[in-house]
Amino acid sequence: MEVLLPKLPSFKFSSPICCCSISTRSSSYVKFGFRRFSSLSVCASTANEAVAEPSLGSPSLGHTTRPHFPILHQEVNGSKLVYLDNAATSQKPTVVLKTLQSYYEAYNSNVHRGIHFLSAKATDQYEAARRKVASFINASDSSEIVFTRNATEAINLVAYSWGLSNLKRDDEIILTVAEHHSAIVPWQLLAQKVGAVLKFVNLNQYEIPDMDKLKELLSRKTKLVVVHHVSNVLASVLPVRDIANWAHDVGAKVLVDACQSVPHMTVDVHSLNVDFLVASSHKMCGPTGVGFLYGKIDLLSSMPPFLGGGEMISDVFLDHSTYAEPPSRFEAGTPAIGEAIGLGAAIDYLSGIGMQTIHDYEVELGRYLYERLLSIPNIRIYGPAPSEKIKRAALCSFNVENIHATDLATFLDQQHGVAIRSGHHCTQPLHRYLGVNASARASLYFYNTKEDVDNFIQALNDTVNFFSSFK
Amino acid sequence: MSANSISSCSSLRFLTTRTIPKTPFLKTPSFIQIPRKNNDHTFFSFRPITFQKLPTTPSSSSSTTPSPSTTEENSLQPIEELPPKLQEIVKLFQSVEEPKAKYEQLLFYGKSLKPLEQQFKTNDNKVQGCVSQVWVRAYLDPQQNNNVVVYEADSDSLLTKGLAALLVTGFSGRPVSEIVRVKPDFVHLLGLQQSLTPSRNNGFLNMLKLMQKKALMLFVEAEKGASELGSSSSSSLEVKDGNFVENSKGSGAGGESVSQSSGEKGAEFTSSSEVKGGSFVENSSGGELSGRGRRIKEKLEKELDPVELEVEDVSYQHAGHAGVRGSGDGETHFNLRVVSKEFEGKSLVKRHRLIYKLLDDELQSGLHALSIVAKTPSEVNEG
Repeated sequence: MEVLLPKLPSFKFSSPICCCSISTRSSSYVKFGFRRFSSLSVCASTANEAVAEPSLGSPSLGHTTRPHFPILHQEVNGSKLVYLDNAATSQKPTVVLKTLQSYYEAYNSNVHRGIHFLSAKATDQYEAARRKVASFINASDSSEIVFTRNATEAINLVAYSWGLSNLKRDDEIILTVAEHHSAIVPWQLLAQKVGAVLKFVNLNQYEIPDMDKLKELLSRKTKLVVVHHVSNVLASVLPVRDIANWAHDVGAKVLVDACQSVPHMTVDVHSLNVDFLVASSHKMCGPTGVGFLYGKIDLLSSMPPFLGGGEMISDVFLDHSTYAEPPSRFEAGTPAIGEAIGLGAAIDYLSGIGMQTIHDYEVELGRYLYERLLSIPNIRIYGPAPSEKIKRAALCSFNVENIHATDLATFLDQQHGVAIRSGHHCTQPLHRYLGVNASARASLYFYNTKEDVDNFIQALNDTVNFFSSFK
Repeated sequence: MSANSISSCSSLRFLTTRTIPKTPFLKTPSFIQIPRKNNDHTFFSFRPITFQKLPTTPSSSSSTTPSPSTTEENSLQPIEELPPKLQEIVKLFQSVEEPKAKYEQLLFYGKSLKPLEQQFKTNDNKVQGCVSQVWVRAYLDPQQNNNVVVYEADSDSLLTKGLAALLVTGFSGRPVSEIVRVKPDFVHLLGLQQSLTPSRNNGFLNMLKLMQKKALMLFVEAEKGASELGSSSSSSLEVKDGNFVENSKGSGAGGESVSQSSGEKGAEFTSSSEVKGGSFVENSSGGELSGRGRRIKEKLEKELDPVELEVEDVSYQHAGHAGVRGSGDGETHFNLRVVSKEFEGKSLVKRHRLIYKLLDDELQSGLHALSIVAKTPSEVNEG
């Protein structure tokens, strides 16, 4: 019972003909989308003519996909919800929700263990999801995909399994100051255990981690380089392929935290040539409770187990046990079966839209967000300014002078129903480096629209005025 | 315009904006505002109804709320138990309907908060669980004989500063027992909860708890300090120079005053008087004694036939603290020095108990505390 998702045409063009073509699809899910869409098309005709970016006007990708996300259509605190916290977690389309439901309704069963009908079906679907992940990131084989609870657990897996057996005293691990806590703390714990040394790359004048410094820090002592692909605060993108080359030149491995990149753009581990890559399902329209680690098969094969228990063993005796091949070796106990299958459905949904389409839309919408934010007086947006050479992700972390980020976020939520995040976004070292205690962050996904950004800016202006009047 | 939710759980929020909550209806008054836009509840008229008045006494009722049920009062602390300034603040916020106006009020409070000096922004003073930085400092007010707790607070977030100001205004200068009695869920009474995100709320509660904890710590330290100098309200004594302060029944709030060491006072006493053999020396320091002071003197003279007797009214030093409240004539604290043969053979505790027994009537009628020096003539001669 594969979830069949017909490929949707890419929505770069605002021609209504393109949109009508949805109606020719037969799957019920898409019909649902179309029914909703027809009510939207009335609004589309009143779309602002003054739009500078034609692909952002109705019907943009945001407008066409919004109907698929029931949670977006609600009011909070008396205003329409404007959800701009996608870097924290994404919303789920109906098809993913239906997949979860149908798993539990129709074929829930423990995987890999039984031979009865339900169990075989569950196992098939679970492994099919694994294959979907593998092909989504262009891994060479599905055995290179280990399902974990989330990206954090995946990084810990590498630290305990690969790190403990490969790192020793005075070995060096290179990270950046902009890493998420999940990409820092496991290595701190490991370094304490084995006596390894952590080195951090600072930011350059564009507020991107300095690649020249990184190259300087690399040496034969370096055993591992841990970098983010896309920063959840700076919105910068790192040249991962180059980093991998430089690292391999000195005999070091590379682990990439792709939590903010896999959901938003094409990520090809084969072409990037990374050794390890981690991502979370919940940031890419999938359910919470599942994430994955990609590792090159020869690396995974050489790694000892992480958690011990059922599923990861081959034979168990009283005095010793032998272990399964990867990926099973690293998947002890009953996994989050329904959730992994839900992740598979999310991948199908995203592939249906096309990652390139999603990425292009977000580059435009992200730039629109950035430019409109610049119009707020006394605002400081972190990370590089977008240009021809530098592409930003569709998120902006910022501070308004003399107004605390938390005050902004609270007022935006309470008075305008706008959901942004305030705090340190799990990057305390980065905030310390930037010299601030906290920042506010608005992050987009492909179902956000230009109107979302406009509403946000208007609400932010109102909020800034309110607090400024109290100074 | 806002629909206010009771719970921080996002799924419940969803519920409350769409339907009448299934929870007992009367849990909602005072902070539920029905959304103006999708007003599909036939129960209510078009005009938004806000239930903002919590009954402050069982008999009162507001024009818009149905009569309160006991479930409401069982779950929330009655407003009368709150410190008086806090009661005022609660009423003020309840009378302000619009969330935006509540915010303005909150910010206004914050503005009035005296900034905290940098040296006090320590880790011990930092409130955990706050998205912004909040510090709270607490100390005993030396100008009030270290009997009351004074708070200072600061935050880099304006809204949090407002919350801190509420607590500082409400708690400063109040007795410890009153402060620690305040239950965290009083924040519901403010009607602000729905205007605050759960994480901020968490900070508010932690701020409250930190202030309560600090008050308790100060109280305990002061008690310890007093007992080290030889006094405590229990009967175990470590007497250094024969002086201690007995804390007699308080004003019903149960041991809220901090015992005060009287070391210095004792020294003053012993140096100020002379014993003339056999003769009765009377010395009342300061101004004249009125009413109670005279009665005390007469009683002690009559019963103990003292060689020396000094009665000093020091109530003015305790003016403003809880023990004094309710004692109209202001004669609440006295220093006594009694030298009498009656004390021979009696332990210090017994001597003090004797005096208290003699002055029982006064103690029942507003005398709050006595600082006693009780010696025998021979002890004084050895001196």
